[in-house]
Amino acid sequence: MSDHCNGAKTELVTLGGRRTPEHWKSPEERRNGAASRGEFPGGLPSVRPDDQGSDTTRRDFLTLMGFGTAAVSVAACRAPEQKAVPIAVASDEMIPGVPNFYATTCGGCASACSLVVKQRDGRPIKIEGNEVSTLFGGATCATGQATVLSLYDQERLRGPLWKGEPLAWDKIDEQIAAGLEAARAKAGRVVLLSGTITSPSTRTVIERWRKAFPGFQHVIYDAVSASALRRASAAAFGRAIVPHYAFDRARVIVALDADFLGTWLSPVEFARQYARGRTLDQPAGLHVQFEPGMSVTGSNADRRIAVAPSALGGVAAALLARIARKAGEAGIASTKDPVDAGVLDSVADELWKHRGESLVVAGCNDDAIQLTVLTLNRLLGNVGKTLDIDRPSLQRQGDDAAMAQLIADMQRGEVHTLIIHGANPVYDHADAAGFTAGLAKVALSISTADRRDETSAAVHAVCPDHHFLESWGDAEPVAGYLSLTQPTIAPLFDTRSAVESLLRWIGEPATHYAYLRDHWRTEVMPRQAGARDFDAFWDHTLERGVLELAEVGKTAGAEAAAGGDWQAAVATIGLDAERAAGQGDHYELAMFESVAMRDGKNANNPWLLELPDPITKVTWGNVLLIAPSTAGKLGVRDGDVLEVTTSAGAVRLPAFVQPGQHARTLSVALGFGRKQVGKAGNGVGANLFALTPMVRGSRRLWAEGATVKLTGDHEKLAGTQSHFSMEGRPIVLETTRAELAHGREEPEQLPNLWNERPQGEKSWGMSIDLDSCTGCSACVIACQAENNVPVVGKDQIQRQRVMHWIRIDRYYSGSEDSPEVLHQPMMCQHCGHAPCETVCPVLATTTSSEGLNQQVYNRCIGTRYCANNCPYKVRRFNWYNYTDTNNPQFDYNMANPIGRLVLNPDVTVRSRGVMEKCSLCVQRIHVAKNAAVKRGEPASSVRDGEIKTACQQVCPTDAIVFGDLNDPHSRAAQRVRGERAYRVLDDLGTRPNVSYLKKVRHGQST
Amino acid sequence: MDNLPEGVTEPRWIAGSPTLKQITADIAAPMEGRPGKLWYVCFVFAALGLLDLLGMATYLIAKGIGVWGLNNSVGWAFDITNFVFWIGIGHAGTLISAILLLFRQKWRTSINRSAEAMTIFAVMCAGLFPLLHMGRPWDAFFIFPYFPNQHGPLWVNFRSPLVWDVFAISTYFTISLVFWFLGLIPDLATMRDRSIGKIKKLVFGVLSLGWNGSHRTWARYEVVSLILAGLATPLVLSVHSIVSMDFATSLLPGWHTTIFPPYFVAGAIYSGFGMVLTLLILTRQTMNLQRYITMRHLDSMAKVLLLTGSIVSFAYATEFFAAWYGGNIYERYHFINRATGPYAFGFYLMVLCNAIAPQLFWFKKIRNNVAILFVISILVNIGMWFERFVIIVVSLHRAFLPSGWGMFYPTLIDFGILVGSFGLFFTLFLLFIRFMPMIAAWEVKAVAVEQAGHGADPGHGAEGGSHAG
Repeated sequence: MSDHCNGAKTELVTLGGRRTPEHWKSPEERRNGAASRGEFPGGLPSVRPDDQGSDTTRRDFLTLMGFGTAAVSVAACRAPEQKAVPIAVASDEMIPGVPNFYATTCGGCASACSLVVKQRDGRPIKIEGNEVSTLFGGATCATGQATVLSLYDQERLRGPLWKGEPLAWDKIDEQIAAGLEAARAKAGRVVLLSGTITSPSTRTVIERWRKAFPGFQHVIYDAVSASALRRASAAAFGRAIVPHYAFDRARVIVALDADFLGTWLSPVEFARQYARGRTLDQPAGLHVQFEPGMSVTGSNADRRIAVAPSALGGVAAALLARIARKAGEAGIASTKDPVDAGVLDSVADELWKHRGESLVVAGCNDDAIQLTVLTLNRLLGNVGKTLDIDRPSLQRQGDDAAMAQLIADMQRGEVHTLIIHGANPVYDHADAAGFTAGLAKVALSISTADRRDETSAAVHAVCPDHHFLESWGDAEPVAGYLSLTQPTIAPLFDTRSAVESLLRWIGEPATHYAYLRDHWRTEVMPRQAGARDFDAFWDHTLERGVLELAEVGKTAGAEAAAGGDWQAAVATIGLDAERAAGQGDHYELAMFESVAMRDGKNANNPWLLELPDPITKVTWGNVLLIAPSTAGKLGVRDGDVLEVTTSAGAVRLPAFVQPGQHARTLSVALGFGRKQVGKAGNGVGANLFALTPMVRGSRRLWAEGATVKLTGDHEKLAGTQSHFSMEGRPIVLETTRAELAHGREEPEQLPNLWNERPQGEKSWGMSIDLDSCTGCSACVIACQAENNVPVVGKDQIQRQRVMHWIRIDRYYSGSEDSPEVLHQPMMCQHCGHAPCETVCPVLATTTSSEGLNQQVYNRCIGTRYCANNCPYKVRRFNWYNYTDTNNPQFDYNMANPIGRLVLNPDVTVRSRGVMEKCSLCVQRIHVAKNAAVKRGEPASSVRDGEIKTACQQVCPTDAIVFGDLNDPHSRAAQRVRGERAYRVLDDLGTRPNVSYLKKVRHGQST
Repeated sequence: MDNLPEGVTEPRWIAGSPTLKQITADIAAPMEGRPGKLWYVCFVFAALGLLDLLGMATYLIAKGIGVWGLNNSVGWAFDITNFVFWIGIGHAGTLISAILLLFRQKWRTSINRSAEAMTIFAVMCAGLFPLLHMGRPWDAFFIFPYFPNQHGPLWVNFRSPLVWDVFAISTYFTISLVFWFLGLIPDLATMRDRSIGKIKKLVFGVLSLGWNGSHRTWARYEVVSLILAGLATPLVLSVHSIVSMDFATSLLPGWHTTIFPPYFVAGAIYSGFGMVLTLLILTRQTMNLQRYITMRHLDSMAKVLLLTGSIVSFAYATEFFAAWYGGNIYERYHFINRATGPYAFGFYLMVLCNAIAPQLFWFKKIRNNVAILFVISILVNIGMWFERFVIIVVSLHRAFLPSGWGMFYPTLIDFGILVGSFGLFFTLFLLFIRFMPMIAAWEVKAVAVEQAGHGADPGHGAEGGSHAG
């Protein structure tokens, strides 16, 4: 002990300032002094994300540590004079290792789904839907799941920028204040350009701006807008709204190029409704889809008819003509039928038969078509039943015409100050060049973008907004349905809430939190019957996350508004069709939002970039979808690079032969081809926004008169599935309602050489309903987020090394022109007699007494024999070290210190050379068991439904159910006993614990 | 190219009637003189191949299995193909030395030594691949049962054919090595006696284990040889049977077949003899040993190739028949895919090399043409490599679920390691023929004596080991 104290004293003496003998390493150093060069002349490699070297050198650190050690030692030699104070004051909200769940609202897109965010040790790691919400339930989409990774995006700005250089917030505010003062002085116009704002409180901030600046203008711009639908509603109902649809109440659904299960308006909500409306205990419904390219929705339709985009209006008009005739409406000329008249007749008959419980929707951004469709719904008596205009959707508010006007105004130099919030027109507007030119004439341009993207790179001030997971806020996706946003992490970087910035710039500084509370106190609470005490009301709402207001102002006489000159609309459609027919031997180019990329806002998210498209299964880029017949005619094969030229420009993309594609139409996904979004997303695919034409004030997502040219180049596509036929094998089984009426045929139980396994109290299993699964792929990202599944990049996908634990197999049956599509989620089947298990030489994969097939990473030596012997091909091998920070090949989230924050601490990050696969979320099983033990019950007392796997939790259609197969009352066991249950490749004797329910071909309701 | 008088007209296994002394001198010549230019050229190429293997293996272990062309569908390709290929090559040696010894086949004497050496080197090459193909080769020791260990009661999985492989191959290697070394002892003693240099004498002295050539030693030697031959014989059959179970016990169409053990053993002997033929033709040309490796030897080996090649062809046909007759849709698809799918070229190459080419050996003229023999022996090697490639890759790339179908495209590293394994093999073999008696002199002498009739005096070989004591 005394030695220790002596050592410490020496240390202290040194610290006391005694001059140490001078050492030098080189003559140069001696001349210049060591201090000028420091210990590491080139500077230390910094681990800090911002790369700003710390002032603390290693030597300082060692000195301080030495002092600390010495001080502690010295203190230990004497009696303590002061009472010790605990180092950390534990927060009563945060217990290390125990997750907290916070209700909030998704900012991934304008659908504003309600979320519950899982937070572990102060960082959000997993997003789930908020089951309290009647709109969205516990479900989310793939984009929503992936937004948690966008939070930890390394490319986000570390702080505000002024003319491209970092500047402190107060300095930036001064600059902006000066600019705004100039605007006021010169009476220059101040414009806020934003995406759809669903937040009611933010809208009141904008009202304050309107008061503060007389010429203030708020332009709402959506890259993919519902502008035509809003205008058609204005004509038909007197209000520019997007109706709130109820697909569950519609027995007959007719959709014209509306991918409502994939991307259109509010896909999570619609998918839930759709599944609810098509359960087998109800009479069979009918879903008819008219669309040019195969969409997720089209792949689920009972009847899908491929039509050219220019013929969609004709279909609407032809249906309207038939319905109008039935309804006794006069004054409609019979139109030319763009498709087989018999099909249209039968669809019209079905619609008419189900008046009031049918729904026609159109995704086309064309006023005439939208007005025709709204009129159809009105004549069918659907208004107020399957589409609600009293409580409209607020999820798409963009106005294409206003945006076009703004660009013109900017180019004329009429805009003094432009604030861009949640919009990136330089990337996603067709007239990006015009916008850029106009932006140069704006005296003060401000962006709240979280990174230097295409637009924010050209503005004066970038004032980065928080990520929604760091921010307060609220949302009203559908009138009367409110949802709160609360931060789940302290802001990672020096960002500031856009609301706070906006308030500060008009001289009303307030924190976002205070403003929000104030808004809710004055605006929202009074609308809620029975709420008295605001704090209680606030806490209660914040905890639940959602608030549904009962009262909503009825619009005056919606029914009476027999509005809109629909005869004129039909006439316009007729003219359009004639013009398109005059295009002769040209193609049409249809553009759509893909499930993974949507409008391209989240294009730097490697999870989404690597998410296989639900239909093509292609990752990392968009492809030109071409019909098999056309491809045969042109001699095009998958991967051949084609050049498509329209009047607006040309684009080069690899082709993908897509069954079900309309022969004269080429389809391409939007949202790719970002130039400035970050390392992962830059230059992936091609940007087609420039090819979207502006027609009658709306941006149309199709172009006529396109020509195609083979370039002779070939590109290897990064697809995760290369073979699309089941080859007549019994993999996805189908049945019909008639067959089901006969009851279940017990499959022959094959004899087995193995002994039955000793069984624990539980027998975990899963049942997947192929009739509900829409193929939306949300489960793929949910699993990736939950289980730390690495991203491997385009090159590795081309080499067929995707790591996803769950994949959605997609098969086609029937003809190439009009195929039936089957989606089958496939993950480890947790076989009772697992083929992987017998072949592993080192027992690295075993089956637990509870029926789980377990992979023991520590034991695995990577012979890959298990993967070879797995008939389901669900095992994934770590070909490389995907978490190596020094390997530029895998520079994704797992290889950088910020991106790693998203990792789930409950799940091992796998090393190179080991096998991995679905574990049925074993970590969630243990959480539930622990909870049971804490309750003082045995671990086996876990209740049915208490454990939800990540894929089950996220599923909007409830296709996946996990549970104890030993418990006859569990939902999973009930499903397994059902007449549709079967197990894939059961004849191999693998006895999987994951089983499927046959897809039902509902057929016509007759 | 072959100027020797044809020895096939009469049953002579040694051309001419050399004295025993000359036999010793001839066989010792490569070790005592300087090797020819051809040897150096071969050695440079072989050593380059070995360097390539070292480099590639280092890169592989540093980066991960991803540097190969494997993927989620095809988990094994060149690695296990090479493994089975080399194990197959390793079959001829023990067959020649053990089974032919038991059957008292005289013609084996000239070739058994080098065939056994080949076996050992081939098994070494083969053993490399299970190690290299592991995701974590540093944990390879997990596959050995060892106790106690830090994993507590954790043991290996005795149900896994990979564990059986470990036992089968290590046993085979051990027995082959012992058998080979035992056969070398009398000749090592001869070399010891002939050696002039001190170091050489010491090395050969130690290696020959004090051999004195007494009648008692010879008597015991014969007995041990027979016992070891008896032990090795079942191993010849068991090793490849067990290797075949890597495939046969799985449930993959194309692998899950009961005929695999005999089919693989026949294939292994076929490929082993193919390689022996290649090597012998090369050595007799490079080392001027035409007198001891006669056309009769080559003729006999061609006949073995004809027999085993026919068995293999029969197995190919049986597989197709079973697939058609069995009616299993997966099995049936697999064989249609084998013959018409993207890897059909491999299948036809295999049929051409293994089923059609050896049928030429029905003709004596072809069996007696060294050039054609050499070409066909190379074809046999190529064909047998492709047989394993077809079995492994074609089965894996399109298995049960069409969604999991894929293609395997080899990378440069795949080829590099394949080429490198030949480098290792030939380096070892060239060193062997340079520094070890590559023909069993004492056995050849016995044949020579027999051939010359009983008039010849065994004492002619004055330097023979028999005088050492």
